[in-house]
Amino acid sequence: MSNELIQIETPFQFSEENQQEFERLIQRYPVKEAAMLPTLHLAQKQAGYISPAVMEHVAELLELPVMKVKDVVTFYPMFFEEPVGKYVIRVCYTLPCALRDCKLVLEHIKQKFDIDVASETDLAKGTTPDEKFTLLKSECLASCDVAPVVMVNDDLYKNLTPEKMDEILDGLE
Amino acid sequence: MVQERRILYEHLDVPDINTFDVFRQYDGYKRFEKAIKEYQPDDICDMVMKSGLKGRGGAGFSTGLKWSFVPRDIEPRYLCCNADESEPGTFSNRYVLERNPHLLIEGILICCYAMGISTAYVYIRGEFTLGKRMLDAAIEEAYQQGYLGKDILGSGFDLDIYSHPGAGAYICGEETGLIESLEGKRGQPRVKPPFPAVEGLFHKPTVVQNVETLCNLPFLMGNGVEWYTDIGRTYGDTRFDPPQSDPNTGTKLYCISGDVNKPGVYELDLGLTAEELIEVAGGVRGERVKAVIPGGSSAPILTHYELECRLDFTSLTLWKSMLGSGGIIVMNETRNIVDCLLNIMKFYAHESCGQCTPCRWGTPWVRDIVQRIADGEGRQTTMQRPKFGVAEGGRWGDTGEMEEVYEDLDLLESVANNIANVDTMTWNTICVFGIAVSWPAVSYLRKFRPEFEAAIREGKLVTLSVEEATVPPEENYAYQQRIVPSLFEAPT
Ligand SMILES: Cc1cc2nc3c(=O)[nH]c(=O)nc-3n(C[C@H](O)[C@H](O)[C@H](O)COP(=O)(O)O)c2cc1C
Ligand code: SF4
Ligand code: FES
Repeated sequence: MSNELIQIETPFQFSEENQQEFERLIQRYPVKEAAMLPTLHLAQKQAGYISPAVMEHVAELLELPVMKVKDVVTFYPMFFEEPVGKYVIRVCYTLPCALRDCKLVLEHIKQKFDIDVASETDLAKGTTPDEKFTLLKSECLASCDVAPVVMVNDDLYKNLTPEKMDEILDGLE
Repeated sequence: MVQERRILYEHLDVPDINTFDVFRQYDGYKRFEKAIKEYQPDDICDMVMKSGLKGRGGAGFSTGLKWSFVPRDIEPRYLCCNADESEPGTFSNRYVLERNPHLLIEGILICCYAMGISTAYVYIRGEFTLGKRMLDAAIEEAYQQGYLGKDILGSGFDLDIYSHPGAGAYICGEETGLIESLEGKRGQPRVKPPFPAVEGLFHKPTVVQNVETLCNLPFLMGNGVEWYTDIGRTYGDTRFDPPQSDPNTGTKLYCISGDVNKPGVYELDLGLTAEELIEVAGGVRGERVKAVIPGGSSAPILTHYELECRLDFTSLTLWKSMLGSGGIIVMNETRNIVDCLLNIMKFYAHESCGQCTPCRWGTPWVRDIVQRIADGEGRQTTMQRPKFGVAEGGRWGDTGEMEEVYEDLDLLESVANNIANVDTMTWNTICVFGIAVSWPAVSYLRKFRPEFEAAIREGKLVTLSVEEATVPPEENYAYQQRIVPSLFEAPT
C-alpha cells in the first residue's frame, strides 16, 4: 500500500506520430488553449486514460497551468481519469432507447461479465477483472431510429437484442 | 398520405456520394460556384433573409436576422457549425456527416462567402467518430480540388474548415457552451448578451449554425428564393394557422422514434400535423398514441388530444411547445408517463453544467422527486387548508375542509418553476437549459396528472388507460391557450 503512495509515475510523451498530429492540430487555432479537446483525445488514445502525467504533458504543450487541464478533464464524460477496459461499452439509456428495451441489453451484459455499471467516479466497479471490458450507461447516441444502440469503443451497433449483443462481444479479441 | 420531399436527403443513398467526384455529378459545389460568380455577399444575405429560413438546431431563430446582427467591420469573424447533436430523439445531422459530408462543406462555403468569414470550425460531438472521419476525408478532398484554402477558384475568397471533436457533454450544444468548449475550456454557457453574433469565439463575431440549417443553403442558392418559399405546407384549412407574416418555409428533417412502426428520418414540408407524421412513419406501434414529444426531450409533451397540432416553429409555440430540434418521440398506451419523465430527468440531472444554483441543485431535486414517486414513496398528506379573508367567506383562523394534498406534485411543480417559470417564460439561469428541464417536468405533470396521482396513491407505478391518464382538453393549460379564445371550440 505505502508503495503505491510514493510510486512516481513515469512521465508521458507523445509518440512521434502523435506529436506530428499535435503540431498539425495546434496550427488550427489562434490560441493554443483551443487545441485542448483534440489533444486530450489524442493523448487518451495513446495512453488509455488521462493520468496526472498526461495532464502535465498536455499542460506543458499548451502552455497552461496543469489545473486548467484537470478542470477540463473532469468536466467531460469522455475522458477517463482511471484505467478502463480495452473495450468500453456504452449502452444508450435515454428515452427512445428505453422505449425499445435497452434495459434487457444492459442487464444481460451485467450478468454476462458479472459487473456493475461503471460511474464516472468509480470506473473499477464496471470493469471486468481482466480489464477487457468496461460497461457504461450513455446518453442518447443520436441513433434513436435504430434503437436500442450500443457503442463499443468507436463502433456503433444497432437494433440490439441480448443475443446479438452476445455475438458482438464474443467476437471481440 | 403526406409525401416525402427529399431535398437535403435526396442523394443520401447514392453510393459514394461522400466522394468529391460523385458529389460533383449531382450538382455538387455548382451552387457555390454560382454564388461566388453571380452574387455579391450582401445579395446572399438578402436571399437568406427573404427565404424565411429558420435555424434547425433548436431555437428556430431566423437565420437571415442572425446574420444581420454580425458587425462587418470587425475581423476576423468565425463560423461554428453545430454538429453536437445530442438532444435526445434527434439523429438527422449524423446521416449528413456520415454519408454526404460534401453537402455540409458546400453549405459552409456559401455561408462564409456571404459573411466574409475565412475560418470555420465544425464542432462534432465526440461520439461521432465515423462522422468525423468522413467529414475530415471530405475536407481533405475539397482542399485538393481547390474548393478550400487560399484564393478559392481564383476569386480571392479564402476559407479553412476544421473539425473539432467534443467530449460527451450535452451542454456543449448550447451555442455559447460550444464556444467555450471550442476555446478549450469547460463547456459552460456564457451570459448573453453579448450574443455570439457580436462577441463569440475568441471574442470575435461568430455565427453558430446547425448542420441542417447550413445544408439548406446550397438548395436555396441553386433554386432561388421563390422556389424555397413555395415549400412548406399551404395553410388556410384549420383554425390554428401561424401568422402569414412569419412563414415556415422549407423542409424539415423530422426524426421520429419510439413507438412507431418505421422510425427514421423523414424529410417533409414544414407544417404537417403530428397525426400525419405518425402515419408517414408507419403508424403507432401498439394500440394507440398516449403522448408525443414534438421537438427533442426538452419540448413540452403533447397528449393524444393535441395530435392535430402542426409541427412547425410557430404553430407549436402557440400550443405552448416547440419544434426544437425536430426529434419526435412517440409513446403508446403501455407507457407510464412518470417513468418516462424519470428517464428524461436523469438525463438532465446528469447534464447540468453546474454553473447556476437553480439548475445545479434544482435539476437533481426534480429527478429525486420523480424517482420517489416512481418508487412508490411519493408524499401525500391530508390537511386542512387555512381559509383566509372574506373573499373565501371566512375569518382569520378559520380552517377549510379536510383535503387530500399531493405534496410532492406541488413541490415538483414549484421546484421546476423556480428553475425556469414555464408560464411567464422567464428563467433564473444563465442558459435555457433551465427551461429544457422545467418544460418537460411541468408539462408532463400538468397534462398527465392522474398518472402521477395514481402512483402516489397506490404506492407504485400504475399505468392508466390513455383516457384516464390524460387531463381532458378543458383542463389542459396548453390546449386552452393555443388559439384566440373566440375561435375556441371543444373537439367533437
Ligand atoms: C441545452 C441546449 C442544447 C442544445 N443542443 C444543440 C445541439 O445539439 N445541436 C444544435 O444544432 N443546436 C443545439 N442547441 C441550439 C443552439 O444553442 C443554437 O441555437 C443553434 O446551434 C443555432 O443554430 P441554428 O440557428 O442553425 O439552429 C442547443 C441549445 C440548448 C439550450
Ligand atoms: S442553466 Fe444549467 S446548464 Fe445552463 S449554464 Fe446554468 S447550470 Fe449550466
Ligand atoms: S436514445 Fe439511444 S440513441 Fe437516442
